[in-house]
This record gives sequence, C-alpha cells and structure tokens, in this order.
Amino acid sequence: MRPFDYYKPDTFEEAFRLLTLSDKKVLPLAGATDLIPMTRDEHWQPDVVVDVKALPGLCDITETPEGLFVGAAVSMAKLVHHPLVNGPRWNLLAQAAAAMGNEQVRTRATLGGNLCTASPAADSAPALLTLEAFAVIRSAQGERRVPIAEFFLGPRKTALQKGELLVGVLIPAPPEGAAATYVKLSRRKAGDLAIVGVAALAYPYNGGYAWRVALGAVAPTPIRAPEAEVVLSAGHDEAHIEQATKCAFDTCCPIDDIRASAEYRKAMVSRIARRAIEGVLEKLS
Amino acid sequence: MLHEITLNINDETYPVIVKSHYTLARVLREQLGLTGTKIGCENGECGACTVLFDGAPVNSCLVLAVEANGHSIETVEGLSKGGDLHPLQKAFVEHNAVQCGFCTSGMLMSSKALLARNPHPTEDEVREALVGNLCRCTGYIRIVDAVLDASC
Repeated sequence: MRPFDYYKPDTFEEAFRLLTLSDKKVLPLAGATDLIPMTRDEHWQPDVVVDVKALPGLCDITETPEGLFVGAAVSMAKLVHHPLVNGPRWNLLAQAAAAMGNEQVRTRATLGGNLCTASPAADSAPALLTLEAFAVIRSAQGERRVPIAEFFLGPRKTALQKGELLVGVLIPAPPEGAAATYVKLSRRKAGDLAIVGVAALAYPYNGGYAWRVALGAVAPTPIRAPEAEVVLSAGHDEAHIEQATKCAFDTCCPIDDIRASAEYRKAMVSRIARRAIEGVLEKLS
Repeated sequence: MLHEITLNINDETYPVIVKSHYTLARVLREQLGLTGTKIGCENGECGACTVLFDGAPVNSCLVLAVEANGHSIETVEGLSKGGDLHPLQKAFVEHNAVQCGFCTSGMLMSSKALLARNPHPTEDEVREALVGNLCRCTGYIRIVDAVLDASC
C-alpha cells in the first residue's frame, strides 16, 4: 500500500488544521474498512489520514430534545446492539446496520463512513431517509445541518465541502405509533452489498396511516419514492399496495453491475417494496 | 511516518514501531512473527485474517496497526494454554473441520467471539456469525458441527 501519514487529533481545531493542509491529499479515517482497500488499489491516494475516533462526540450515541444524535464514528455493531437504537423508535437504523457487511466489518465500519462513501447501496441510507435524519457537518467556520436527502449528490459524491467533516447524524423521533422495516435483497442472505434495499415506515395519521418509503441501490443515490408514499397514504389494501409497488418500479433508474442487471433490479424493486410494506403492516397490526 | 505503539496480544505486551500505512495483519505476521493469522482477500470478504480486537472480531487486514495502539488483541496463537488445545480447536480436530487450513484461524477466532457472547448458539446463529469467514474446501458442515459441539 502507498505510504501515508496518520494523525489522531483529539480536538476539532487540530482536526480542521490537518484536514485543510495545503498541497496534501487528506482523508478522514473512521472505520477504515473502505479506506484501506480503496487506498491499496490506488483509487484513493491520501498523503495524510486523519483518524476521527478521538474527536469529542464522534463515538457517542445521545438522546437530545431534537432526536437521537449518532456520532459519525459509531460502529455498525454498536448501532445493532445499542438499547436506544435497538428500541421502539429508531430500530429501523439497527435493522439496517445489522444488514450491512459481516460481523468483522460491522465491528469497525461506521455510520459516518457508510454515508460519506456515498455508495448508492449503503444500507444505512434508506433507513435514514425514511427517518428524515439530518447530517451534522462541521468545519472551522461552524456547524450546518443538511437533510440526508440532500447529502447524497451522486455515486461517491456528497454535499461535504473541502475542510468539512461529517460529525454525526441527528435523527428526529418518528411520529407516535410508527412502525418501520428494512428489507434487503442480495446474492447471499448476509454479507453482501444490496441488489435492492427498501425501507418503509408508517404512522397513524388522520384516521389512516402516513407512509415513507426509500429505495437503495436502484438509482445514482439512495432515494425516497414519493409517489408510492402518496398511494399508500390513501390506503393500504391490496390494490393500493400493488399500485405503490408500481410507483416504486417507476421511480427507480438502476444500472447493470456485477451483482445484478438493471432489468432484474427493477423487477425486484416491486417485490422487495411489497415485502417492506407488508412487514410494516404486520408490525402495525 | 513512524509510530511507537504498544500492542497487547494474547495477554502479552509488545512495544513495536510501525509505519502509518501498515495493517495490523502485516505487523502481526511480519514484525511479530505471529503467522497463524492469514491474509486472504484483503477486502473484508474472506475473514482469514480475523483476530479479536477488545474481544470483538475484526479483519486485521482492514485495521491499521497504529489504530490498535493500547488495545487488546487475540490471535489464534493465544487459544491453546499450557500445551492444551482450546475446546474449539479440539472440536475442529474431532470433526475434521480443517481441510487446507487457510481459513481455520479466522474461523476459530470468529467462533470464539460468538461463544463468548452466546454460549449456546443455534445452527443458524453459528452460520450467521461465520458469514464473514469463507471456506472453499469443507462446505462448512463440519465447521458448523464443530462449533456446535464446542458450545455444548
């Protein structure tokens, strides 16, 4: 592997000084499960890596009046087992974290890394889209929040500017009575990237249910499926579910890759969306 | 860039000087001579390099050695005590769960982590815990049988 320098700052001041070094390619390092293979294969060529795991708050999960704050360097394994994440309100995120990678990868891989790598197939993304989370971004100039839906700009492209660091995610508590499910299709039952991932969430609203649906691995970024949400919010009998899965089919624009053809992905979006919707209905009943 | 770090491996302390970009797997094998840990895919798929990091399984090829500074690491060399094989190792021998052997150290370490948090797993739980450990020889059946046997 091409040599680089490694620093582990414990203050943001020092981190931002390192992240903005001129004439150097600087990358933040969290779980390193993407950084090491990408650097070894020379897709990434850092001169300096900045380990963010000693920065204040980055490994914390805290409940705030605005919702659950999850630090960017919190591991997937911690999300799976944490009582707050795995509790009644945010367990969609625990489900998504459990679906990602394998045991060894989940021990190291982080939520922030999963988001910043910005793979269209990132398992945490459909969950955070349906939970309407915010990316909490810091720079030497201050802090800003970006809705997760605006964080992903394309494959491996995010809203982060040079000198900015994703410090965590703020996840509002879903409305009272909400139920949510993440369903993932991959080549084997576990340990692989998603061919299609669907998160669905519903909560009691106006005598019926309001729905949120998000799709992963079937567009340049993880996306919401607003037409499917409108149809389901009008009713969730068989006719509406069928119509909603057609809407999900129409919303996506997948590509062919090593895991599946675009045609197969499109066909499976309808199937997996149906499973996610039915999974939510089962939890609501 | 060089780092003077301390690794706690199998309850022994190793002061070691590592380069920033060296992985834990590389340092274990090449600087400390602990070659029981194997390097396979270097992508987090095969699990041949699995060690325990503060008790949790990790791919040591996807951890920088410098990140392990001050942490507790367990490798396959730490399993047998005083010349006695670990119960998992005995079960692997009894069930012929080893063919070429390349995956075995990783299988043992993932299994050890599983049994530490779940002493009586079901077959499904064993298979799930070993998703990140690939074996191209045995077809897994003997390995799963060995782990279940060691858990009784």
